[in-house]
Amino acid sequence: MADFVPLRKNQTLRLADGRTITVTDKLGEGGQGIVYRVRYDTGEERALKWFFLGYLKDPLQFYRHLADNIKVGSPSEAFLWPEQLTEYVEGETFGYTMKIFPKGYESFSRYLLAKAQFKNVAAMVDAALNIVAAFKALHNKGYNYQDLNDGNFSIDPTNGKVLICDNDNVMGHGEYSGVLGKARYMAPEVVRGEKKPDKSTDRFSLAVILFMLLVGNHPLEGIKTNYPALTNKYEKKIYGTEPLFIFDKKDSSNAPHKLLHQNALRLWGFFPSFIQEAFCQSFSQESLLGGKERLLEQDWFNILMRLKSSLIRCPHCGEEMFLESDRVTVCQSCKKSVKAIGHLLFGKRAGQDVTVPIFKDVVLYDYHMNSLSEDFATKAAVILEKPGKFGLKNDSNFNWKIKTPSGKILAKQPGEVLVLGADAQIDFYNKNIAQVVVNS
Amino acid sequence: MGMLDKLEMPRKMCPVIFLLDTSGSMTGAPIGAVNSAIENVLPELISMNDSNPDNEIKVAIMTFSFDADWIVGGNELLSPEDVQNSWNDLNAGGPTSMGEAFRALNDKLSVSHGFMKHASGSVAPVLFLLSDGEPTDDYQDGLQRLKNNNWYKVAARVAVGYGDSNDDVLREFTGNAETVIHTNDAKELRNMIRFIAVTSSRVASQGSSVDNTGNVNPDDNTQKTAEALQNQGGSLATADEEW
Repeated sequence: MADFVPLRKNQTLRLADGRTITVTDKLGEGGQGIVYRVRYDTGEERALKWFFLGYLKDPLQFYRHLADNIKVGSPSEAFLWPEQLTEYVEGETFGYTMKIFPKGYESFSRYLLAKAQFKNVAAMVDAALNIVAAFKALHNKGYNYQDLNDGNFSIDPTNGKVLICDNDNVMGHGEYSGVLGKARYMAPEVVRGEKKPDKSTDRFSLAVILFMLLVGNHPLEGIKTNYPALTNKYEKKIYGTEPLFIFDKKDSSNAPHKLLHQNALRLWGFFPSFIQEAFCQSFSQESLLGGKERLLEQDWFNILMRLKSSLIRCPHCGEEMFLESDRVTVCQSCKKSVKAIGHLLFGKRAGQDVTVPIFKDVVLYDYHMNSLSEDFATKAAVILEKPGKFGLKNDSNFNWKIKTPSGKILAKQPGEVLVLGADAQIDFYNKNIAQVVVNS
Repeated sequence: MGMLDKLEMPRKMCPVIFLLDTSGSMTGAPIGAVNSAIENVLPELISMNDSNPDNEIKVAIMTFSFDADWIVGGNELLSPEDVQNSWNDLNAGGPTSMGEAFRALNDKLSVSHGFMKHASGSVAPVLFLLSDGEPTDDYQDGLQRLKNNNWYKVAARVAVGYGDSNDDVLREFTGNAETVIHTNDAKELRNMIRFIAVTSSRVASQGSSVDNTGNVNPDDNTQKTAEALQNQGGSLATADEEW
């Protein structure tokens, strides 16, 4: 086998489609290869991932795998998907081009290291929604990721937009890349060696990523797992054979360590009951040991939308907080209680509750107008407050139909404000109805 | 403190420990190459730490000639930044007390009485040995003690031999012929130290995605390093090359 030779500046390479690219700079280096900046003859710039020859166990098979993924195409714009391969030469290495990483994005690793921080809570929640949406698109296209970990994501801290890189190991259903993943992110059944990565194990990794994004610690690392030497034996225990959620409802023996896991101890209480419940289910013993009870992307999407529309500013201290729809919430910043006067209760979506607390400045999105919409960015309504009453301003393109408890039918055009009266039913669009429920 | 004010997630310590031969024969170009190599390796370690939320590299450096001397991190391992800020060029002179070096290393590779204690635990260390000559003391005794040390067993063990080094001894130390590299050229020495130190540190600190080939014992970090060195074809471009 020939030695691996790094590329040189101004070196030209032929792509599989016959075009040539010129190497102009080195962008980075990792365990699998080197990433260069390259230029097409048209002047357009791309990144080129150039594999270490020894990394490729079966070069031709891997080349064909990448060619297939290029042909099938990117699941969504969140993926920095391979665009074109360099031509295949027997016994030599190869690479593929992809878009260059745009400026402004920060690796998820840097958020975990507290070197990057979201501009506001809304951006953090949007990041979670974007990650979930990307994996839904990936799975819908028949792929699974297999090696989901903190190094694969970058997030724009100002708006929560997500880019997913390192897509070489993305596989079609039933295919297997040979990569098991990174221990901290692998599903326990993969760590135990019972199963190869697939959609279901991806979903476990997704829950780990979401937990770390929101709560800032690892869900399985607590007082019990703090071994002085992390060898394979202990790694298997922590993440495979004896995994235990740090907030397990029945067993507190792996609770967060008061010095090491301060994020978890401080931040868990910020999240509403339905988020805590979603994590408790994701990391229940049934999920960890039986592979059951895992939330689908669609579940997470609806749960995170509920979170997004519960974001308010505390009326006492002005800090951002999530307000429960139907019960008292203690502001974690000032420890004072806040309670919504009522909430909008929608029909369930994919089995998940959809509610919005009635509180000043709470925003509804296109998602809330149309039961088929997954648009969590377009604002469609906002809750206003005047002394003694709350209103819902129609910022959508839909004409709302309202049925009052006495049976009266009202209509609110875009731009108009509906006074939120007890027990009214609002049909936003096509029988997508929310009821105004007064909290007891 | 609000919801966004998170602290860094706790990281495991990944110790990177250098044992450097500063015997008289290293005088001149070789010791210059070592000094320059260490200066070049530190920024690479800093940048690895900058993007790794799992483990954090900490450094200790021992020189051995008349005896073994922890010049950096002997009490508590230091961050590569701290090493960079306190780094003074090494001088060469004296015999090659490698046995003493092994004994001194063994003493420190301990949680209870050495420098391996870390609040959030540690992963397997990198043990890097550089030598240019025959041990002038009883290296066997020290090496035997090391071989019984559990940290040594899981460590990524690598060695660079220069000039008249006894590479059999280096191979005995690493326990793997593929992680010992030899050169007779002082200029190449610098690049090799960098290549070996950077690659082994990357393997130990980043833990690489696991595959299921089942060929490698997951705790055999020396073999993992051997494979990583092999993957890169034995050479990397150097930092000061013309781009």
